[in-house]
Amino acid sequence: MAAIATTRAGIASAPVERTPFLLQVSMMAWRTLITNIRVPGVILPPLIISGFFLLVYNSTLSGAANFFLRGQSYLGFILPLSVVSAALSGASVAGQSIVRDIENGYFDKLMLTPVNRAALLLGPMIAGAILLAMQTLVVVAMALLLGLQPETGALGLLAVIGIALLLGVGFSGFTVGIALRTGNAAATSGASFLFFPLSFLTATFVPYDLLTGWIQTAAFVNPITYILDAMRTILNIGWDGEIILRGVGSCLALGIVLFIWAYTGLRARTKRK
Amino acid sequence: MSSGEIRAENLIKRYGEFTAVNGVSFSVKSGEIFGFLGPNGAGKSTTVKMLTTLALPTEGRGLVGGYDVVTQAGDVRRIAGVALQEIGLDNLMKSTELLTIQGQLFGMTRRQAQDRAAELLALVKLTEFTDRPVGKYSGGMRRRLDLAMALVHQPEILFLDEPTTGLDPASRRDIWAEVRRLNRDFGMTIFLTTQYLEEADELADRIAIIDRAQIRVEGQPAELKAALGSESINVTFREDGDVQRAQDEVTEMFDRVQIDRKTIRLYRNKAAEIIPAVVNRLSGAGLEPVALTLTTPTLDDVFLQVTGARFEEDAKDEAPKSGRRPGRRGFGQRKSA
Repeated sequence: MAAIATTRAGIASAPVERTPFLLQVSMMAWRTLITNIRVPGVILPPLIISGFFLLVYNSTLSGAANFFLRGQSYLGFILPLSVVSAALSGASVAGQSIVRDIENGYFDKLMLTPVNRAALLLGPMIAGAILLAMQTLVVVAMALLLGLQPETGALGLLAVIGIALLLGVGFSGFTVGIALRTGNAAATSGASFLFFPLSFLTATFVPYDLLTGWIQTAAFVNPITYILDAMRTILNIGWDGEIILRGVGSCLALGIVLFIWAYTGLRARTKRK
Repeated sequence: MSSGEIRAENLIKRYGEFTAVNGVSFSVKSGEIFGFLGPNGAGKSTTVKMLTTLALPTEGRGLVGGYDVVTQAGDVRRIAGVALQEIGLDNLMKSTELLTIQGQLFGMTRRQAQDRAAELLALVKLTEFTDRPVGKYSGGMRRRLDLAMALVHQPEILFLDEPTTGLDPASRRDIWAEVRRLNRDFGMTIFLTTQYLEEADELADRIAIIDRAQIRVEGQPAELKAALGSESINVTFREDGDVQRAQDEVTEMFDRVQIDRKTIRLYRNKAAEIIPAVVNRLSGAGLEPVALTLTTPTLDDVFLQVTGARFEEDAKDEAPKSGRRPGRRGFGQRKSA
């Protein structure tokens, strides 16, 4: 083997400074991003599912929807569902990244460095959200090609992507929590499906007002209802502060609860036994 | 205590009813290569995990570079480099990326970390493989990269947990040479666990043999071997009964006699000179050995002496769990008579 050229003193003096927390988070997010981008199989399925939903629902239901949307765009009504579906199916990205690190021993390697433990959590969650935003961008582009004309213009589309980003961080927290608690790829992958009923126990295909009985009650307590409502309002009606605030608030509430879930999972995983 | 020292004081680690490490104490001087030798499941890796802050001791105390492994874990991580038995690499990343992140986490700027990565990749002879993901590396390449990861921050103390397990002979010798050089050129304290006797013999200034959770013996390899006597004649028979009869016949000629299954080991100085006399004595008693060898003491003999079992046998007991190939172990100098 070749010899190390530098002297001990020359290198040992460098690592005295502590890496800033935000830099640590961005490093962890960056590595999650590049490793996932290198495996297209992780990113493409959620994208295909979302695109599929958009295409099929728009083709089959847009005619029938005229009577309850009163001239509004069904594409603008159904696009948020595709976005939420993408958030749900893409949420496992962050969790799977952490499971992979645990399984291949890299997580232990990171634990032997002075890395802030919260960066190990936030990095993959932010990366998962960025990936979701990118997927949403593609789905929105697809909707534009299908004829979507948002009432709030390009700014409205950005707002929808922003809400998707918030939702993505929240859902990522859920799968990350499962990943940290189980360290198991199958459990993490399966857990992301637990949230799927949320996208159907709501005003999935028709407005909330047309729901009756138990499904209306379920939709009322389901935070996804308010998130869908906010996105639909932005796309089909305009800037309605109260509805948008309710949607963003639901995203934040969901995100906080699921972040706490993820954080306690991190505490459990990194606690020395 | 100097910055390169390691001290274990009555370390105990229990998992429920199971005691993985039971009252282990030792000290490693600054700049020393310390070999921690034992079969699979003996407690080596658990000891390393406690000393490197990955596991908490149930009882006892560990000091690394003067820092307590429980209360000053962050300081321990900053001064110690660790290459664990399970290679911890992200298979989807490239070597430069991994080393750069590692350097940055230890406080280097991106530029410093990249320079250090290039330097270390040259050191472990991986420079020409930087464009492929680590998942496509061979076992030896992955082990070398893992060693480089442990060296990124130029640690005072380096923990190597079975660094050559699974490597081909050439790669093992490369790692040995590097371990020696790190110790010689930088005065790095190296704590090396191994299940290969020859590795401990080759590298370590001092060794401790751990078996069934406890340290059985500690000292310099040469001292430990010398304590057994300089040579032994090993006579193997077909039947167990012959071994007993042989023992009755030749015991008086030797300082010490040990029976190991169908082999009797006869220890004394200048044993080679009395081989003809031993052969004549056995022949006169109607005993026909199937093999007779002359052996200089090895660490395997030391292990046998302190544990009552061959190192190889202990390793075989663990083989199904670990997947380790039975019989693959280090031997000292052994020559036929």
